[in-house]
Amino acid sequence: MVSLLRNQKVRNALLQALYVGSLAATVLACVMIARRNLAEQGITSGFDFLFKSTGWDVNFSLLPATANDPNWWFFLIGIVNTLFLGTTGLVLATIVGTIVGLARTSSNELARLLGRTYVDIFRNIPLILQVFFWYALITHLPTPRAAHEAFGMLLTSRGLYVPVPNVGGTALAAAMLAVIAAIAFPVWLGRTPRLNQPFGERSTIQLASAAGALACAAILLAVGRLPDLPLLDFPALQGLNLKGGLRIPPEFSALAGAIAIYGGSYIAEIVRGGFKAVGKGQMEAALSLGLSPWRVFTQVRLPLALRAMLPILANQYVWLMKATTMGIAVGFTDFFMIVALTINHSGQTLEVIGILMAGFLAINLSLAAVFNRINKAIALKGNQLRG
Amino acid sequence: MDSTLPSGPAVHIEGLDKHYGSFHALRKINLSVDRGEKIVICGPSGSGKSTLIRCINRLEQHDGGRIAVLGTELNDDVGNIDGIGREVGMVFQHFNLFPHMTVLENCMIAPVIVRKRPRAEAETTARRFLEKVRIPEQAMKFPSQLSGGQQQRVAIARALCMQPQIMLFDEPTSTLDPEMIAEVLDVMVTLASEGMTMICVTHEMGFARRVADRVIFMDAGEIVEEAPPEAFFTSSRNERTRQFLSQVLGH
Ligand SMILES: Nc1ncnc2c1ncn2[C@@H]1O[C@H](COP(=O)(O)OP(=O)(O)OP(=O)(O)O)[C@@H](O)[C@H]1O
Ligand SMILES: [Mg+2]
Repeated sequence: MVSLLRNQKVRNALLQALYVGSLAATVLACVMIARRNLAEQGITSGFDFLFKSTGWDVNFSLLPATANDPNWWFFLIGIVNTLFLGTTGLVLATIVGTIVGLARTSSNELARLLGRTYVDIFRNIPLILQVFFWYALITHLPTPRAAHEAFGMLLTSRGLYVPVPNVGGTALAAAMLAVIAAIAFPVWLGRTPRLNQPFGERSTIQLASAAGALACAAILLAVGRLPDLPLLDFPALQGLNLKGGLRIPPEFSALAGAIAIYGGSYIAEIVRGGFKAVGKGQMEAALSLGLSPWRVFTQVRLPLALRAMLPILANQYVWLMKATTMGIAVGFTDFFMIVALTINHSGQTLEVIGILMAGFLAINLSLAAVFNRINKAIALKGNQLRG
Repeated sequence: MDSTLPSGPAVHIEGLDKHYGSFHALRKINLSVDRGEKIVICGPSGSGKSTLIRCINRLEQHDGGRIAVLGTELNDDVGNIDGIGREVGMVFQHFNLFPHMTVLENCMIAPVIVRKRPRAEAETTARRFLEKVRIPEQAMKFPSQLSGGQQQRVAIARALCMQPQIMLFDEPTSTLDPEMIAEVLDVMVTLASEGMTMICVTHEMGFARRVADRVIFMDAGEIVEEAPPEAFFTSSRNERTRQFLSQVLGH
């Protein structure tokens, strides 16, 4: 028995069990105390409210929504809205950050100065102020009757109206998946060891699979097309209001824009750091082998910089995802706002906050897990052979 | 291959000047290296040895005088530089291998991308040169999994895979332990015996004695002395050279 306790592995396992046990006990105690207090105040607890209809409506949803829908459906709407806002914000922030970060590492003095100014300004203004600023700006755009038009999109104080394809929802979703596959599958083909063909000689199958997937997308769109309507539904003025197209509300644009610009300033610093971390020696070696500056960038500088950036970038993404909760400040029905409204209407504070935390944990843990996998896959190898 | 190129020296340098800002790093350097010749450059730290050989493969741009490599003058004509860059291989003090590629990939990337060789052919060549530097069994490893001496030999193989006509070495052994120094020098001696044109910055005086046709001593951005190794080591009259030699050979 004593010798067993001296075993490192057994000790670690025991400590773990002790830790998990005490954590569980604490949580259990809290829940029981809360239940007793709530019962004393005459508040019933439980999750029955999930299946009752909400009685209120949301101002933006990618899923169909009415006031008769149950609470759980609204939570789902909130999560989808948060994911939509988060993804849009992250993608835009990454684009902004890459451009500004590259400007900051450029040999051009003006580009460096502009990049630095950008970072200095936008990193030091609180995100919530930036959200309010963009929101104020957008809501002061002209009314629908005097809308600005560009590429078939209409810019108005009521939001951005973009054309949408006149295609059934399922077919549209399937076509989008096919487009994603057209990008992802060739990438996978280029790296998988499962193919007998040597790396670098796979461009034919890669091209063929991409073309195949794109063809599928085209067919899906053609089949799912709504009858007797043009392929694209353009927004247009009808009476005093705009009809057709998809309306992206000012709340969403303000939030996505603020996250893109504010997040971009942080990501720019990460990008700059990543490129700084690449040894000058590796680039000189590549140049001395006769590689063109562009090839030095794509083959050596970028791959090494990416490896240095990814772990920090993952943190930043998780952080920005949480920043979507700013939605409540301008009234965008993201997950957090739906949760707040549900608390007001149902009174089930503890349960709803539990759902909120679980939702965000799930989103951010999955994000972190994806990044961990990518990191592992491309990490510089230390002491083991590849494969 | 030599016959297709114009004859004349491998490297011809005339009145070369180089400044870093206001700092005068190279002063009126004149140097001509024949095909197949082996040159050893030595001198105190900061004397401009690295700067000189980095000018030869255009990692640094000179601001006065002329450099011609294999009969082509290095100037702002991009076409010239591209063509010549691949004929000049370089080995660095800190190896500078690509850490995200295997040893084999390190050796294949330039032939495939720059010389447009099919991958199969590039791989055969790479394996042949890895054999030559005596580490064929390390082909699938990553640089960080090798010892310093092995990494430097990969770096030599990587440069040789481009089948350059001139090899530049910038203190290739100065960060290595004694037994690894021997591994690397052995490879360099073999290379020299096969007739490669070599310009080596090194303080390995044994190597200089064995393979150099000429030893060049630099100080403060100038070539102070230039002589065959025997004369250089035994009968140098220059005060700075003798002081330097007593420091490197002193013990
Ligand atoms: N990029 C640079 N910017 C400014 N000064 C430089 C730069 N590179 C080199 N120098 C200066 O030029 C001089 C010559 O440098 P170089 O690296 O050629 O010396 P070296 O003879 O190779 O010395 P070592 O034996 O220490 O490698 C040194 O005084 C150095 O400080
Ligand atoms: Mg040096």
